[in-house]
Amino acid sequence: MKALVIDDSRVMRRIVGGILVGAGFEVVEAGDGQEALDQLAAHDGITLCCIDWNMPVMTGFEFVVEVRKQPQWRDVTLMMITTEGEQDQIVRALAAGAHEYVIKPFTPEVILDKLQFLGLVEMKETV
Amino acid sequence: MTTPASWETLVGDDPVLTIAQDLFTTMIDGEPGHLSPWLADTPDMDDARYTWVDVAGPIVTRVMLTAGRATGENLTRALLVMGAEEPVSDADFADAIGEIVNVVGGNIKSLVTSPGALSLPVVAHEAPDMSHGTRLMETYFGWKGAPLGVSLWALS
Repeated sequence: MKALVIDDSRVMRRIVGGILVGAGFEVVEAGDGQEALDQLAAHDGITLCCIDWNMPVMTGFEFVVEVRKQPQWRDVTLMMITTEGEQDQIVRALAAGAHEYVIKPFTPEVILDKLQFLGLVEMKETV
Repeated sequence: MTTPASWETLVGDDPVLTIAQDLFTTMIDGEPGHLSPWLADTPDMDDARYTWVDVAGPIVTRVMLTAGRATGENLTRALLVMGAEEPVSDADFADAIGEIVNVVGGNIKSLVTSPGALSLPVVAHEAPDMSHGTRLMETYFGWKGAPLGVSLWALS
């Protein structure tokens, strides 16, 4: 499995990327929405994009809109990971085609729970 | 669900403390209890750095974090799970401190009714010119014995 982590903060890319690598993903990075579109076009097999909202050049929301215009990327799962926590922002992102929404700050467990819910990682055994 | 409010209702320390403690617990310390209100006199920041984000609107509101360089380096190490003596590059420092104020600012923004867009973070060696601004609140926290300042400004 391959994931694209899109955030203008290298620190956040490392944190999110580390969680995804631990979950078995190969990780590709982008620092803004436009770079992410380029990475998506350049790499086959990306199944998940983790997307910050506020970025220079192209925002995460604009990236979601652009991805959803392209039929070849219709199976890519889009998960916003952002500080934008207002209800109308969440609704906008989901309406535009994002599948999940995580508000910073987060724990690794929050990300892994979302990935399990989306069927991208196996469910944890519960005792 | 948090009740939307005006910026003026944030002129108290509690909402900001809650946001900051949540951030430190989940992403910096991995456990609660390391960030608390600063109870001593207003601290001097050694080799201070200033980081801020602005929230657009009829009145631009600025959320600013102030920390000493050494404290900022320790925050960077904690965020990136680096060793205690590992050198911190300027790029990692700015990125980590910027992300901290981005998360604090974004969460403060979500408390108010109909806020505008959040700016990208700015990190500086000197405090920005706030002569045309009004300070809405200022509070200090202690993290591992070192002070961190958070202030909220209305910019005209």
